[in-house]
Amino acid sequence: MPEIQIPAFRVASRAALGSKTALRSAGISIAALPEGHVIHVLGEAGGPDLAPLLREVTGGRPHAVRTAGPAQWFLVGDEALSAAGVAAILAALPPGAAGVDQSHGRVRIRIEGPMVERVLAKGTAADLAPAAFPVGHSTTTLTGHIAAHLTRVAEDAFELMVLRTFAESLWDDLATMSGEYVLQAADRA
Amino acid sequence: MNRLRLSTGGLIDRSRPLSFTFDGRKMQGFAGDTLASALLANGQRLVGRSFKYHRPRGILTAGAAEPNALVTIGRDGRTEPNTRATVQELYDGLVARSQNRWPSLDFDIGAVNGMLSPFLGAGFYYKTFMWPADFWEKVYEPVIRKAAGLGRATREADPDGYEKCWAHCDLLIIGAGPAGLAAALTAGRAGLRVILADEGALPGGSLLSETATIGDRPAPQLAADIAAELHSLPNVRVLVRTTVFGWYDGNVFGAVERVQKHVAELRAGAPVERLWRIAATQAILATGSEERPIVFGGNDIPGVMTAGAMRTYLNRHAVAPGKSVAVFTTNDSGYRLAADLEAAGVGVAAIIDSRREGSPVGGGSARVIKGGLVRDAKGGKALAGVTIAVDGSNETLDVDALAMSGGFSPVIHLACHRGGRPIWSDAHGAFLAPQDTEGLTLAGSAAGVGSLSACLADGAGHAARLAGLLGRAAQPAVFGPVAGEGTGDAGKPLWSVPGIRGKAFVDFQNDVGLKDLKLAVREGYGHVELAKRYTTNGMATDQGKLSNINAIGLLAEARGVSPAEVGTTTFRPFYTPVSFGALTGASHGKHFQPVRKSPLHDWAAKHGATFVETGLWYRSAWFPRAGEKTWRESVDREVRNVRLNAGLCDVSMLGKIEIHGRDAAEFLNRVYANAFLKLPLGRARYGLMLREDGMIYDDGTTSRLGEGHFFMTTTTAYAAGVMNHLEFCAQALWPDLDVRLASVTDQWAQMAIAGPKARTILQAIVDEDISGEAFPFLAAREVSLFGGALRGRLFRISFSGELAYEIAVPAGFGESVADALMEAGEAHGICAYGIEALGVLRIEKGHVTHNEINGTVVPADLGFGKMVSPTKADFIGKAMVHREGLTAPDRLRLVGVKPLDPAATFRTGAHILAKGTEATLENDQGYVSSSAFSPHVGSTIGLALVRNGPERHGEEIVVWNGLMGETTPAVLCDPVFVDPANEKLHA
Repeated sequence: MPEIQIPAFRVASRAALGSKTALRSAGISIAALPEGHVIHVLGEAGGPDLAPLLREVTGGRPHAVRTAGPAQWFLVGDEALSAAGVAAILAALPPGAAGVDQSHGRVRIRIEGPMVERVLAKGTAADLAPAAFPVGHSTTTLTGHIAAHLTRVAEDAFELMVLRTFAESLWDDLATMSGEYVLQAADRA
Repeated sequence: MNRLRLSTGGLIDRSRPLSFTFDGRKMQGFAGDTLASALLANGQRLVGRSFKYHRPRGILTAGAAEPNALVTIGRDGRTEPNTRATVQELYDGLVARSQNRWPSLDFDIGAVNGMLSPFLGAGFYYKTFMWPADFWEKVYEPVIRKAAGLGRATREADPDGYEKCWAHCDLLIIGAGPAGLAAALTAGRAGLRVILADEGALPGGSLLSETATIGDRPAPQLAADIAAELHSLPNVRVLVRTTVFGWYDGNVFGAVERVQKHVAELRAGAPVERLWRIAATQAILATGSEERPIVFGGNDIPGVMTAGAMRTYLNRHAVAPGKSVAVFTTNDSGYRLAADLEAAGVGVAAIIDSRREGSPVGGGSARVIKGGLVRDAKGGKALAGVTIAVDGSNETLDVDALAMSGGFSPVIHLACHRGGRPIWSDAHGAFLAPQDTEGLTLAGSAAGVGSLSACLADGAGHAARLAGLLGRAAQPAVFGPVAGEGTGDAGKPLWSVPGIRGKAFVDFQNDVGLKDLKLAVREGYGHVELAKRYTTNGMATDQGKLSNINAIGLLAEARGVSPAEVGTTTFRPFYTPVSFGALTGASHGKHFQPVRKSPLHDWAAKHGATFVETGLWYRSAWFPRAGEKTWRESVDREVRNVRLNAGLCDVSMLGKIEIHGRDAAEFLNRVYANAFLKLPLGRARYGLMLREDGMIYDDGTTSRLGEGHFFMTTTTAYAAGVMNHLEFCAQALWPDLDVRLASVTDQWAQMAIAGPKARTILQAIVDEDISGEAFPFLAAREVSLFGGALRGRLFRISFSGELAYEIAVPAGFGESVADALMEAGEAHGICAYGIEALGVLRIEKGHVTHNEINGTVVPADLGFGKMVSPTKADFIGKAMVHREGLTAPDRLRLVGVKPLDPAATFRTGAHILAKGTEATLENDQGYVSSSAFSPHVGSTIGLALVRNGPERHGEEIVVWNGLMGETTPAVLCDPVFVDPANEKLHA
């Protein structure tokens, strides 16, 4: 069939934040997470809470199931999946749930350190106090100009999940927001 | 140091001297000084010239209300005009310059205005410079503005960083004076999340200037002790140098923190100012009260200041106001100042008390003149003496400083920001806050509470009550007995003094005097809002903090009514000026707006793309090659090559929406004007989405990938809008339909591959057969790529009119797949093409975009009339699209246009005139909506919306561009310029 053959052409995925070096300081650290998988689960409006069933699909890994709005969830993991792998997850979804592969549409950034609430408060109007935003809680919120899905994964660590095409801009904004803690540390070094 | 600096006392650190300059003169102060206190300590009383009359002005206050001591500090891009010296903390190396004077502060030519002042009263300019009319804007106003003024902003870019920040709390306390500190301690101990904000560098407010003791602790010590305890509480955040400037809906407060406006060396990466948005469940306004000046002749001469300010400079900054001081007061507070002056060894010539009755104690040994009024102050650049009227006779005192206290106005600005009106209280001789300030409680002297002990108790009491409301048990903090405090007696307001000779100022900053207000009443502008605008009283950068209440009192006196009847003007944010830098935050330079980068951005860049900003996207516009001198050469080549061979274009930025659900087909059938219910599996269809008013909203293709699974594409510009529209339809219009929506714009890298060789090239990477039979026009299917290495989605759709496909692959693989296609296509002459070529190709085929779908067209206007389903029960736009006006035959409809002379050209936006008619808007027949040079036609071509357009093919017309003065003879034609039979499309 093909009139042209491409011998051994290597198909490779290019990471959206591949050009960014992780920022590390005593106060705040920012790192791009592996471009693993993100499955967007769409339940029926007004339907039952599917989170317990979805946790079975993800094997109970911590923070693998994240609320993404009414009757919507993200199934998240560090492992990049083949088309067959995605298909297997979609097939395992509870009856009535639709799944959409967003593994390439979303990029995850981890931000952590004692100053993490201070830094994120420069971008989001969400109340980040642990009582209001406990570990495991998620919300979609503006971070500066850019909408992102925010999850607290530890007392002083959050994950931001952002649309791929905004990822570099969000990274640059986070670097600016962290500047007073990161640059300060660099000055001392 | 100067003799004016006391050798002991105050909250200055004498071990840390700081050097600074004022108008180039080297001076010294100490850590803990403000610029104002340091200037006074150096004997510099003259610090500025007034706005209109260029009168010598000194320092009137010790706080944010200062109208006189405005200076420019900093250099180059950090130049900051109109800085209040009374607020600016001193730092080493500070550079300050006086304003509004020429050639110098001491000798200012503009002071001649003062001699002309009999002519320069309120309204003078408007009355005088009326004729000729256009001279006002061109001559008079610029000249007047040049002569009158404030400091000048720099034209250099500000090198510093700013940021915005959110905060949340149970209780926000605004003001860290006695009431605020007591409230914060009470609430903090009870475990509430507390934010305490104060504009000063240290918490304490009036405690820092106070000589009373509380539980045997000096007042400043109490402030320091409370601050230390607050710092130890993890649930309390103390924001100093932070002005809360506005109260907004939802109990959100705006505040600006001056993070690094008080330091010589900036901390890298940290902002100089930070704008806070504080969401508070409850708030306490403990902003204290403002002391009113008294309106007498020469009340603006350097050396005259408010009594509270003099007390601050004396007690907090250890600066003596002069050698011999007079105190003019309407209330008890002046007596406390006199006692403090005496204790510091400063001579007090007299206390002039406007009251005849009462015998206040605590004034020390100074002579008291009961029932006395300071009628006039004398002096030029410094006070030389005062004339006192008492019992019908005059007495002159030689003093070099005069303190005045005309009573106290609670600082209630924020309480009025959401529309409430202040209420006059005769008992307080002041306006108090409106009653209905839900979520905001006033405490301390902001609530009209008088004495120090009462303020401490009031703040603690309110905090305990609010803690209870918020579900926490709290005990009001107690601090022990207060010794040596004032009575807090308000006194009776003294609006005016009879027999004034000199100029008596009400609004110091705008040079509005007593006479101006009287003139306003005489001329019929006695209403408070009219008087304000007629005289400009209260309209300067200080927003009338010192002048408004006095002006209201004077208007009331002149009209013979109570201040309650005069009322107030409106309080609005901001309480004090906020820099544009703080309001901008980090959103400047590359952070002005986000950049959206296509997954094929780097692919395009390595092929040399020139990018163009479209919304937030950077789209590849064209791909110049060596030897091409203009963009047109590149674009013409790309266009020709697509029609001759093949081209690859990044279309990843088109909106993409995944639609799932049992009722997805029915949903689309209602959203689109054309039929979608029976779209077969594996097929794409062009869809027209209308607004309720029948106009086209957006267009694009939607493919059916499963029984209840569709994939919609939208235009780039309307991607977010269509998503919102669909969500609204699903959630609000038809909640009974089972539809779930997900935006997948970012999931896919999508490429258009167009041209006669497109199939051959694409087949090299697609595993399935994509021959014309197996994959016909409008086929849409998931496909396997590279021998099963990857799966993508393939659509046979065409914007260029060529044999064309769009292939979507997971975004990360986009560049790799584009590389493979370029490699496979090399032998077939493939080229990368940008959106300029894309535009030319679609215009050549008469395909529309939002240039044509501009909100004024219905489907029939673009030749899509037959697409609108006549049989569907309902769809958005159905009710309106058949209205008479939207079906009228003479509507502007789509037509092609090309110049008669192929060398001639015209532009998008130009208008169409019938041949031989005059170039007027009355003769307007329509307009060119898109235009480009077509290498295939060999001339400029255009799409136009023209009256009866489709019936006028072949008619000669004139394209008229009235803005550019261009006219081009042209002919209307079929909008499809290339391959009208669509043979290439179906090849």
